[in-house]
Amino acid sequence: MIQIFKKTNIQFMKYKYIAFAVSGIIILAGLINILFGKGLKPGVDFSGGTLIRIILKSPAPVDHVRSLLGEQGLGGSIIQEVGKTKREYIIRTTQPAAVEGPTETQELEAHETMGNRVIEAMRTAEDKAASGRGLKDLNMADRREIALLLEATFPDRASALADAIVSFRVEKGIIEDYGALKEAGIPEDVIGELQGKTFLGSLTVLSRETVGPQVGKDLRKKATQATVWALIGMLVYIAFRFKLAYGVSSILTLTHDVLVTLSIFSFTNREVNLPVIAAVLTIVGYSLNDTIVIFDRVRDNLKLMRKHPFEEILNVSVNQTLSRSIITSGTVLLTVLALYFFGGEVINDFAFTMLVGVISGSYSTIYQSCPIVYFWQKIFKTKKGIRR
Amino acid sequence: MKKGLRWKIILTLAVTLLALYLAYPPKEKINLGLDLQGGIHLVLQVMTDDALNIETDQEISRLQDQFKKSEITYKTIVRSKPGEISIQGLSPEQEGKSKNILDENFQEWDYTFIGETASLIMKAGVKQYLKEQAVNQALETIRNRVDQFGVSEPTIQRQGMAGDRIIIELPGVDNPDRVKNLIKTTALLEWKLVKAGPAADEESLLSAFGGTVPEDAEVVRGDPKRTEGGYYLVERVATVTGKDLRTVRRSQDEWNTPAVSFSLNPEGGRRFEKVTGDNIGKQIAIILDNRVISAPRVEDKIPATSGGIIRGRFTAEEAEDLVVVLRAGALPAGIRYLEERTIGPSLGADSIRKGLLSCIVALLLVMGFMIFYYRLSGVNAIIALILNMVLLAGALGYFKATLTLPGIAGIILTIGMAVDANVLIFERIREELQAGKSVASSIATGFSRAFTAIFDSNLTTIISAIFLFQFGTGPVKGYAVTLIIGIAASMFTAVFVSRLIFELTVGRKRRAEKMSI
Repeated sequence: MIQIFKKTNIQFMKYKYIAFAVSGIIILAGLINILFGKGLKPGVDFSGGTLIRIILKSPAPVDHVRSLLGEQGLGGSIIQEVGKTKREYIIRTTQPAAVEGPTETQELEAHETMGNRVIEAMRTAEDKAASGRGLKDLNMADRREIALLLEATFPDRASALADAIVSFRVEKGIIEDYGALKEAGIPEDVIGELQGKTFLGSLTVLSRETVGPQVGKDLRKKATQATVWALIGMLVYIAFRFKLAYGVSSILTLTHDVLVTLSIFSFTNREVNLPVIAAVLTIVGYSLNDTIVIFDRVRDNLKLMRKHPFEEILNVSVNQTLSRSIITSGTVLLTVLALYFFGGEVINDFAFTMLVGVISGSYSTIYQSCPIVYFWQKIFKTKKGIRR
Repeated sequence: MKKGLRWKIILTLAVTLLALYLAYPPKEKINLGLDLQGGIHLVLQVMTDDALNIETDQEISRLQDQFKKSEITYKTIVRSKPGEISIQGLSPEQEGKSKNILDENFQEWDYTFIGETASLIMKAGVKQYLKEQAVNQALETIRNRVDQFGVSEPTIQRQGMAGDRIIIELPGVDNPDRVKNLIKTTALLEWKLVKAGPAADEESLLSAFGGTVPEDAEVVRGDPKRTEGGYYLVERVATVTGKDLRTVRRSQDEWNTPAVSFSLNPEGGRRFEKVTGDNIGKQIAIILDNRVISAPRVEDKIPATSGGIIRGRFTAEEAEDLVVVLRAGALPAGIRYLEERTIGPSLGADSIRKGLLSCIVALLLVMGFMIFYYRLSGVNAIIALILNMVLLAGALGYFKATLTLPGIAGIILTIGMAVDANVLIFERIREELQAGKSVASSIATGFSRAFTAIFDSNLTTIISAIFLFQFGTGPVKGYAVTLIIGIAASMFTAVFVSRLIFELTVGRKRRAEKMSI
C-alpha cells in the first residue's frame, strides 16, 4: 500500500494564528487593491465594448501592433499577445470617449465602429491598394463570395473549390501565400484565377465580440445575483445538515476561498469575464467538499473520544482525513492543471481561477475550518451544541 | 450468483448500452456550441414602441374621419407618446358628442376630458397585446429571412417569457455583416408617385410648392448608394407596397446588372395598372426603408399581371439579399442589436483541439495516479470513470444539450471530481482494513460510511452549478450542464458500479484475506 501520509499527528490547531494571519494578509491586500488600487478589471462581458481576436499573415511584434493602432487614434487599446508566434493578438478597444451620454444604440454602434477601425488599422497599404483595384481579400471572403468569384471560369466546381479553400483557411487560420493552397489540393489553374481576382490580406479576424452597455449591465446584475443565491443555497443546506458552529465555519471558509481567489486575481492582469464568475461559483460549491468530509469525521469522533478535549478531537479529525483531503483536491488539481496548460487562451482565465480556488480550498479546509469551529465554541461556550 | 448481483449487472449493462446508443455517432448526436463550430450569436431588441406608434397613427386618422363626419371641430390631434393621443382645442359643447364617438368606436382607449383638451390612452391590455404581437411577428419574419438565406440549424428564440429580446444563433455563418444587415433591414418597400425631384436640397425641391410640403406629400431622400442622392417629393399614400408582392426573384436588367423582378397580387396589380395608366411620363419612386432606391419613369400602362423590375445598382449579393427580405416580409417594428459575438471557424476548431487535448491529459494524469496509488482498486476506479464519461456523453445526446468550450472544462473537472468519491471510499476501506476487519466487511463499511460524505459534497457542487445554469449565457450554461450531469453520473458509477466490481472480483471469494488497494 502506498501512502502519502503514514499515520500523521500534526498539530494543525497550533498553527491556527499563523494561518489566520496569512489568510488575513492575502485578503486584506486583495481588498485594498480591489477597492483602492487597480481593482478587478471587468472584461467585455460586463463593461461592454469590442474585443477582436486576429491572426496576422506575417509576424509583428506587439509594439508594431500598438503603433499601427496608435496611428488610428486607438493607442489606448488593450493588446494581448496569444502564444509566442507574434501573429495572434487579442485587441480590446477602450470606451469611445466621443460618445458621452448618447443613446445606448449609438454606443453599441460606436463600439462597432471602433472594431472596424481596429481592422482597418491593421491592414497594410498593399491591402488597401488591392481592394481599391476591386480585388477581393481571400483571407476575409466567405464561402459564397469565393464560389461566386470562381463561378464564371469553373461553373461546375466553384462551390467544391470554395469549400476546399475555406477549410484550408480554417485549418491554418490564415492563408500565407498562394503556393500554400496547393497543399489543399487546389489545382494550378484555379490558383492562377484566384491570383487575378483576389489578394491575400494581411490579417484574418478569428473572433469578434461586441457587447452593448445594457447587456453588460444585465450580466453584472445576473452574476451578482447568482453568486449571492449560491451562497444562500449553501447556507440553507449547511444549516439543514450541520449544527450552527459548523455551518458558520463552512460559510466562513467558503467566503475565505472566494476572497482569496478574487484577491489573487486582482493582482494579475486578467479580466473578469463570464467564465471567471463560473469558476468562482464552482469554487463556492466545491471548496465545501473537503470541509464536509472533516466535519463528518469530527461528528464520528465526538462519539468515540468522549473524554478528550475538543481541540484534540478536532486535531485528530484533521489528521485522519488529511490524506483523503490532499488526494481529492489533488485529483481535481491535476485536471485543472491540464486545463491550465493545454486548454488554450480562451479558457485560461477560467482555469487560473479554478487553480487558485482549489488550492485555497484545500488549504482553508485543513487550516481554517476546524479553528473557526473551535473559536466559535470557545466564545459561545456551546458545549452541548457541539456534541450531539 | 446471488440474485441481487445479477440484477445489478443487468442494470449497469443496460444503462451503458443506452448511453452508448444515445451518444453514437457523436458527430450527429452531440451539438457543438457556437464557440466550438464557429458562428454568430446575436441578441437584439424589438422596438415595440414602433408598433404602438403605427397603431396610434392609424387610430388618429380614423378619429379624424369620424370627427369630420360628426362635424366636431378641433385644433389639433397629435400622438403625444406611443399609445397616447392628445386632442387640443375641442369646444366644450361638443364634449358629449365626442364621448359618444369614443365610447362607440374607440373602445380600446381610455379617455379624459379637461377643458378643451382630451387625452386618450391605449388600454394596458391592448398595449401589451400589440407589443406581444410585434415581437412574435418580428420573430417570424427573422426566422423566414434566416431560412431563406440558407443557414442550417439556426436557433431563433425570445429571451425570457415576456421579453422584447430575441436571441439568434447561426452556426457556421462566416460573414457577420451581411447577416446582420439582412436581419436588421425593416424591408418596408413602397412605390410612390414622384411629384418633384430629385433636387439637391429641400429648398429647391419645394420651391414650386411655395416652400412648404403639400398635405398629401412627403419628402424622401435618395439612397446615396443606389441613386444620385438628393431629395424627392412623393405622394404620401403608396400605390403598392411590399405586402402586394406575389413573387420576387433575382434577375438582371437589359444591361445585365443584377436586379430584382417582381409580380403583384391581383389587387395590387389592378392598382398598379390604374396608377401607371394615369401617370404616363411621370416618375414613380421605389422606396425601401424610407430611402429612394430608384425612380423609373412610367413609359406605358403596366398591365396587372405583368409585374416589373427593381433596379438599384445592386451587386449580385445585394440583389439576392433584397429578394430574401422581400420574400420574408417586412418587420413590424425596428430592431436594434444589444450584443453580437462572432466566432470564426478556425478559432472553434482550435478550441476543440485544445479542449480534447487537455481532456486526454487530465484523464491520463488521474488514471495514472489512481493506478499508482490504489493498484487494482485504481483500475476499478478507472472503469467507473470511463463509464462516467460514457453516461455523460449519453446524457448530452439525450437532452440535446450543447457542448461548449466551458462545457469541455466541465467534463475535465468532472474527471477530477468523480474520482473523489472513489478516493473517499478507498481511504475508508483502507482504514477498516488497518483496523483489522475482513476484506468483505471492510468493503461494505467503506461504502456505507463514505456515502453521506460523497452525497453531501456532490450536492453542494450541484447546487452552485444549478444557480450558474440559471444565470448563465450560452457557453457558461454548457459548463453548468456538463458539471451537473457529470457529478450526478459519478454517484452512480463511483458508488454503485464500483461496488459491483468489488463484489464481482474480491467479494466472491468468501475468505479473501488481501485486496489490492
